[in-house]
Amino acid sequence: MLAFTLRRIAISIPVLLISSFVVFVLASAAGDPLDPLLARNPPPPPQTIANETERLRLDDPLLSRYWQWLTGIFQGDFGPSVNPARVIGDEIGDRFLVTLRLIALAMIVALVLAVVVGVVSAVKQYSLVDYGATFFGFLFLSMPAFWLAILLKQAGIEFNLAVGDSVIYTIGEATPNFQGSFGERLADIAGHMVLPTISLALISYAAWSRYQRASMLEVMNSDYIRLARAKGLPQRTVTVRHGLRNALIPLTTVTALDLASIISGAVVTERVFQWRGMGDFLLNAIATDDVYATMAWLLVTATVVILFNLIADLLYAVLDPRIRYA
Amino acid sequence: MPEPTTTTTTPAPGAPAGGAQPGPSGRAEREFTVAERSQFQLVLRRFLQHRLAMVSLVVLVLLVLLAYVGGALWKYKFGEYTPDESEPPSWEHPFGTDSAGRDQFAQVLRGTQISLQIAVLVALFATVVGTIWGAVAGYFGGLVDTLMMRVSDLILTLPLIAVAAMLGHNFGGTWWLIALVIAGLYWAYVSRVARGVVLSLREKEFIEAARALGSSDVRIILRHLVPNALGAIIVNATILIAVAILLETALSYLGFGVTAPDTSLGLLVSEAQTALSTRPWLFYFPGLFIILIALCINFIGDGLRDALDPQQTKVRR
Amino acid sequence: MRRTRAASLVALSAAATLLLAACGGGGGNAGGEGGGGAAEQTSQGGVLADCADNPNDCNSVPADQLQQGGEITVALEKNIDNWMLIHSDGNVSPQSNAIKTWLPFTFATLPDLSVALNENVFTSAEQTSASPQTIVYEIKPEAVWNDGTPISAEDFIFTWKYQDGKTCPDCTPASTSGYDKVASVVGSNNGKTVTVTFAEPFTDWKNLWSAGAPLYPAHIAAQQGDYNTGPGLKAAETYFVGTVPTYSGGPYQVENWEPNTALTAVPNPQWYGAVKPKLDRVVYRIITDATQEPVALQNDEVQVIMPQPQVDLVAQVANIPGVSQQQSLGLSWEHIDFNADNPFLAAEPLRDALATATNVQDMIDKTVGQFNDEVEPLKSTMLLPGLEGYQDNIGDSGKGSGDVEAAKKILTDAGYTGVGTALVAPDGQAVPPMRIVYTVGNAIRQTQSEIFAAAAQQLGVTFQPTTTDSLGTSLGAGDYDAIVFAYISSPFPFSNAQQNFVSTSASNYTKTRIPELDALLNQAAASTDAADALAKLNEADKMVLDVSAMLPLYQKPTYLAIKDNIGNARDNASLDSATYNIAEWGLRQG
Repeated sequence: MLAFTLRRIAISIPVLLISSFVVFVLASAAGDPLDPLLARNPPPPPQTIANETERLRLDDPLLSRYWQWLTGIFQGDFGPSVNPARVIGDEIGDRFLVTLRLIALAMIVALVLAVVVGVVSAVKQYSLVDYGATFFGFLFLSMPAFWLAILLKQAGIEFNLAVGDSVIYTIGEATPNFQGSFGERLADIAGHMVLPTISLALISYAAWSRYQRASMLEVMNSDYIRLARAKGLPQRTVTVRHGLRNALIPLTTVTALDLASIISGAVVTERVFQWRGMGDFLLNAIATDDVYATMAWLLVTATVVILFNLIADLLYAVLDPRIRYA
Repeated sequence: MPEPTTTTTTPAPGAPAGGAQPGPSGRAEREFTVAERSQFQLVLRRFLQHRLAMVSLVVLVLLVLLAYVGGALWKYKFGEYTPDESEPPSWEHPFGTDSAGRDQFAQVLRGTQISLQIAVLVALFATVVGTIWGAVAGYFGGLVDTLMMRVSDLILTLPLIAVAAMLGHNFGGTWWLIALVIAGLYWAYVSRVARGVVLSLREKEFIEAARALGSSDVRIILRHLVPNALGAIIVNATILIAVAILLETALSYLGFGVTAPDTSLGLLVSEAQTALSTRPWLFYFPGLFIILIALCINFIGDGLRDALDPQQTKVRR
Repeated sequence: MRRTRAASLVALSAAATLLLAACGGGGGNAGGEGGGGAAEQTSQGGVLADCADNPNDCNSVPADQLQQGGEITVALEKNIDNWMLIHSDGNVSPQSNAIKTWLPFTFATLPDLSVALNENVFTSAEQTSASPQTIVYEIKPEAVWNDGTPISAEDFIFTWKYQDGKTCPDCTPASTSGYDKVASVVGSNNGKTVTVTFAEPFTDWKNLWSAGAPLYPAHIAAQQGDYNTGPGLKAAETYFVGTVPTYSGGPYQVENWEPNTALTAVPNPQWYGAVKPKLDRVVYRIITDATQEPVALQNDEVQVIMPQPQVDLVAQVANIPGVSQQQSLGLSWEHIDFNADNPFLAAEPLRDALATATNVQDMIDKTVGQFNDEVEPLKSTMLLPGLEGYQDNIGDSGKGSGDVEAAKKILTDAGYTGVGTALVAPDGQAVPPMRIVYTVGNAIRQTQSEIFAAAAQQLGVTFQPTTTDSLGTSLGAGDYDAIVFAYISSPFPFSNAQQNFVSTSASNYTKTRIPELDALLNQAAASTDAADALAKLNEADKMVLDVSAMLPLYQKPTYLAIKDNIGNARDNASLDSATYNIAEWGLRQG
């Protein structure tokens, strides 16, 4: 197991290197970060353009720029931002925590929902519950994330009106300079998290519950479950101990694989709810042709995704004794 | 008579087409063919009996007809200005009009065309490439598997929105370009699922039997592995179509999707995001079209899966 | 089993319908009213009701009727990543709304677009001599920075040197216009009297050190180096650009800055002005997606928003109880430029015909006219209604009227053939398809481009509406045949006109090259006689319009929405924005 883990990590490094290089090339080709400077009216002095060109290493060949970026990373230097006042490394840490909070909570909510709904609708196949779950699962699966988020915002406002107090917030991850007790502060943060978490969770849960239902059905149809039943084990034990445990295996892979798409979903959610997380960071970086900011985003996200995939593979082995990584 | 397998994969040169040719294992082959035919009919019958899927199929066909035929026949052309600005729905403009007086019905039909084109292109490209890639990797295992899956991983570590947004920012929003970007990233996802299924099938007895009978690798992959992985892959492909439509919508919302003067459902709905409480017809109609299309496709996929994979249709007690 | 399945399906569809209805519930109700709201046009209403008639004094509340204390959150559309307004990257209007509340300045533009001396800081600012042009500023003795250092001539000298374009070649000030003509800045009376002498006359002198380019503290610049030298100025620039201000010479000062999220300002305890701030705190909340602002306003997460108005926004805010909104016609104006470097567009008759065939009123009706019925076709390329000296310089020439027949006649008379089908120039060359360029994603400009293209098509000329994702790059490269965009004017029109139309100017995007026009514009900008300058400017304007170098479209509206309990806040259509009088803002009692 340890050897497998180490080998996977060793393999992941070239993957990261190559993917970072690909994105570096793409990002560098995407546009000229000096465009706004060049378009300025009156035109800036040539010295300014030369300074910026040098600061952003635009005159160096692509490979050399990549090398400088790569070696910089090991010294904690994420490279120069288009915005001279911005230190990419400092900013991305804060942003990561914001996004982590959003994604982690949404994933937990979505997973719990998915497992419960998936198992119930598999066990009670073709019941009204199954149809209801299927229908709503498909409905959320078919909804544009921001469309749902905009509706949720309106629902949140209606809720506030009904309660007569501002309980649910529509922008930001907390009220800036919130003054109040610890409890009030917690309530404030929770009030800000409700809508983004729901909108992100609903959209992920739908796909997972479908998976959970399918794999649960497959397991429940297998011979060993029939054997378990034939042995006269109680239905509950069969479902949970024998069925669910095995039916969870595919979901781990799917969850891990979906992490990248949840991160993509979070980009949209952060935009709608004006959270200052990684997604907002990325959109800014792309809009301003900020190559090194884009790279920092990629590095962090890709590392997380790779780690997650690794964990999923390991979990797979733990959960399914037939699979052994030697 | 095409087998279900050949609907998604092209027969490789090594594999006898149709399976009617006598081979070294002529007898077994013929028997197998007969069984497959009836199985196809069985699948078809099961699908036809799946009411939700059938209803969805009818609705989807109607939607496609509406988008293409209706779009061509409708009295207003896409992008045409009328003197009625910001009108609510009426007989003249069933979906109302926008600020510039464009007929929203014509806009939505055009948007539907573009969104469907994107989704279909993505699903085709990603499924075909991803399935073959994953099946080959899973079948051969070892170094081949490692190398091929590292390539998939490489693509999976590039979060879709980042790359699509970057490319969209660079090249602007032509629909097929966006489709290729999405497909070019999504096949890796399909390949992992396909590989997973193939891995679990590889050691099964019927594969060993085929191998013992001297079938070539290509033949085993295309005739035995892929068909048996089809259930999972079809579930995936349906999700993919819905995902492609929704992803295009998300990209449009972020400003990196299809751009004006052309349109898509995603672009229409993002342009109307402020209109929810003031001109709801602009917000709801394109949104409902997205949901309707995605729902139909998902239900069809569900019906197909039930039909293809009889094991799952009913728990045997 | 089949029956149950079908029955379930019906039940499910019903459930789904209910869900959608429930989700849309809030929106649906509002939508009913909002449909009417959109058609009703701008109900300015509420506490801002009389702003159209009384732009400078509407929503006035005497200080004794305002609460002592309270907090207001203002939506800000851009993150603040540069704290130096006079730096070229810092001169961004959303952030300047916040930043200039702690900086002293000479003149501000009031909501009626008149220019007024900042009497908190200055007792007078007069031109004492026309030749050489000399201006004397008298600073109030009590005017100090919040660390107690007096506001003095040194602050003028530092910011002049920074912006003169000579002392620090490496610095990138937002503008050097005017400062480059200053010969000397001399302080006397302990630095409280500032005498500015010009090397050559400069008409727009009130624009110098005004609210758009305020004073920065010289004593803090001096800590970075000698601000009479290039390196010292560069060091000061770096400091002011990147450092969250602790200094303040205005009514508010920074308490806290949370990047990308919020800026919190509190009253400056050393504030010397007559009006003391009533609020405990002003929070500037960064909301980079303007479409989220009305929802945040509705949910009381912000109390003041100033986005670009848009039809849904106006209707949506009209439905929020306890909120007032106001639109005014601002200094930003849309126009179509013809590129005279294109050999076909170099011919005046074609430009005349295109300008005549374009229906500007129709463009307004299909865009801003949806939410503002005050917007009219603009009749000048150099001045705006509301600014001194504005007059209709288009007259009955028919430009912008959409009169296709008149346009055809212009072409026929000039010897064009194929008018209305496929236009051929008098020299026998077919007029090729051309492009009208607009910024990608800008729906209003898309509509304008398409209406223009449709008009051109009627003359037999194809204009393909084409998008650019970098307006600046397209303009700089001259990569367009016609292009639609906006200029932001100022009450100081002379330098703008020079930049836009003088042959040698880098930003002469119409590629107009008329020696007489150059002479007129240069004279106007260097005149010390205001009336004479305006007369010359209008003459130049007529010249530009006569050759159809540019077709002016309309003035864009600006927008402000506030909670009704906020007193003394009102829209200011100039770049100085609604926060121009933030010292007076407060919450109504009761």
